Amino acid sequence: MRIACPFCGERENGEFTYLGDASPKRPTFAVDSGESPERVEDAFYDYVYLRDNVAGFMREYWYHGGGCRSWLIAERNTVTHEFRSVTAAPGVGASKPVQAGE
Amino acid sequence: MKYSIFSLAKAALSGHQGWTRAWRDPAPKSHYDVIIIGGGGHGLATAYFLANEYGIRNVAVLEKGWIGSGNAGRNTTIIRSNYGLPGNTGFYELSMKLWERMEQDLNYNAMVSQRGIINLYHSDAQRDAFARRGNTMRINGIDAELLDAVQIRKELPFLNYDSPRFPIMGGLMQRRGGTARHDAVVWGYARAADQRGVDIIQNCEVTGFVRDQNGKVTGVETSRGKISAGKVGMAVAGNTSRVAAMAGMKLPIESHVLQAFVTEAIKPLIPGVVTFGAGHFYISQSDKGGLVFGGDLDGYNSYAQRGNMPVVEDVCEGGMAVMPMIGRVRMLRQWGGIMDMSMDGTPIIDKTPIDGLYLNAGWCYGGFKATPASGLVFAHLLARDEPHPEAARFRLDRFRRGAMIDEKGQGAQPNLH
Amino acid sequence: MVDYLWNTQSPLQKALVAGRHGVAGAQAGVTLVEVRDLVLVQVMARRGKAADTAKAAKKLFGVDAPNTPKAVAGKSATLVWSGPDQFTVLAPRTDESSQIDAMSQAFSGAASLSDQSDGRCLIRVSGPRGRDAIAKFSSLDLHDAAFPVGTAANTSVDHTAVNCWREANGADGHPVYSMLVFTSFADSLWHAIVDSSLEYGVDTSRTRAA
Repeated sequence: MRIACPFCGERENGEFTYLGDASPKRPTFAVDSGESPERVEDAFYDYVYLRDNVAGFMREYWYHGGGCRSWLIAERNTVTHEFRSVTAAPGVGASKPVQAGE
Repeated sequence: MKYSIFSLAKAALSGHQGWTRAWRDPAPKSHYDVIIIGGGGHGLATAYFLANEYGIRNVAVLEKGWIGSGNAGRNTTIIRSNYGLPGNTGFYELSMKLWERMEQDLNYNAMVSQRGIINLYHSDAQRDAFARRGNTMRINGIDAELLDAVQIRKELPFLNYDSPRFPIMGGLMQRRGGTARHDAVVWGYARAADQRGVDIIQNCEVTGFVRDQNGKVTGVETSRGKISAGKVGMAVAGNTSRVAAMAGMKLPIESHVLQAFVTEAIKPLIPGVVTFGAGHFYISQSDKGGLVFGGDLDGYNSYAQRGNMPVVEDVCEGGMAVMPMIGRVRMLRQWGGIMDMSMDGTPIIDKTPIDGLYLNAGWCYGGFKATPASGLVFAHLLARDEPHPEAARFRLDRFRRGAMIDEKGQGAQPNLH
Repeated sequence: MVDYLWNTQSPLQKALVAGRHGVAGAQAGVTLVEVRDLVLVQVMARRGKAADTAKAAKKLFGVDAPNTPKAVAGKSATLVWSGPDQFTVLAPRTDESSQIDAMSQAFSGAASLSDQSDGRCLIRVSGPRGRDAIAKFSSLDLHDAAFPVGTAANTSVDHTAVNCWREANGADGHPVYSMLVFTSFADSLWHAIVDSSLEYGVDTSRTRAA
């Protein structure tokens, strides 16, 4: 498996570290939103533990730690290991605007 | 046909013409009391125990390829019961006890060989952790010995004792651990289940579930037609998420690839199973003489049954660190299996929220050693609708309840278990 | 007395034994040089300040800072790409504090600087078989078409992070590669390169940056 880093070009996958499915989104509940504890727990249970575990193309996080040290999002086929796209994850480099408090 | 020294002699005298096939090749019936999806070791063992222990004989095992073509044929054949956490300790010892009588129970030579397993330790902290695990085992009536470096050197003189980086300080030994012939386990259970009336149906892929108006699973759609069933059990580790998705279920499981390797055959060298404690590497020697070894998961989700080079290098580096002499042995074969990685590294054997559908999954990379116990407790669950006492903690809802059984203390990061 | 000095010393103090190693012969296949006395500063654009950083670099060094994996020679320094919106500045050490002061002022408010002068070791590999030696331990494609003069790469060698770039060809017409490695891993990388070069014959030495 070789991964085409959008910054470094194609490299062997030993330079990269895998995080996993990029789809789960951390649930956000406002404090005192009146949400029932069960619903909040369900949402977090789903986020932390449940996986689609796709057989086919999956969006996933890779970290190019052995190269430019950027977080990337790849679309990869889990059945064939074919990569369809590799792009920078949001916030890589200086592209992300300054956040309040930084 | 009962296998014995007499049947062997008789067959030999008649030029080995008299052997009968070990199991039938039946066409699927329209209805079974229980359908097991997955003709691997676990599925076939489940069918065997259903018929043998629980008197349920109208059972079919559906296998999309040939029996034993999944992880039962893609492992490193190690059996052991050296687990430290409540839930695991008793369950794996149940399995070890079943291994010890399997060949008599099944009338089949599964080449169960209790040649011992040694987990090496390389630091004081690791020794303490192993001592605790060994004590846990002994309290539970399981054999365990904590060996020091002198004793290890006597058992395994060929290891690298001069490494300043990974000094070998000793090891935790379970003498009853060892290896078994993986294919023979599959064949033995298949033959024994078949003899008790179980239909083993190969080349029969499940393509969907049949549900009644209440959502209860009442059968399966297959590549060989619809088959109805009182209950359906899944034993498809590696592909659990795919099959569960047909029933609309999302599970705390990821599929990952684990590679293993075998070298050319050499003279008897390694007495049992040895695991390196400072890197991920374990090794044993097959009866044929090949060194069978493996290491870590590749680390990314995969259904491909093949891995990549960085892990090959990593495993070989681990081997060279602990046992430099293997550097001159040539590697013959390499394979990858799809591991059903659960979120705490421990299996799930439970009813699902869907009526009529039962789950046996999440074996991570420890499924082979569990084969007999997995079959027994899953058969118990299917027959009695309640968990076997030794599997009572392997519940599907334990993640929701916070009752994880995380032997490695890794958290919900399945590629690190 | 312990053998302990506060003086700056090369991370290859023990590993680098100057002279010929491996196969003897008229010409060594590989030439291996440790380049000392460098000022090395990592420049990282702050969020939203990539354009300001580029502008400051242009003003100070007279060249566009690389925004792809390249090494660019500017006046008084070489700029080597080291990641999105970041690059490493290498210059021969003259007066370190004034060199760094000049950069601090130039990039003030635009980029964060990190002085790595004694944190890295620079190893230069050249000679007719230099590329063959590197090919044994690196997964980079170093073919002329894929890695021409001026190309840079952040990569891993033996589990060690290495910034590698290709310098102008040597006087002998053969490629020259620079490798920047953490000082604590320099010893290990040095041994890897020497081991890979023995069959070609390798000349090792140390030089001042120029």
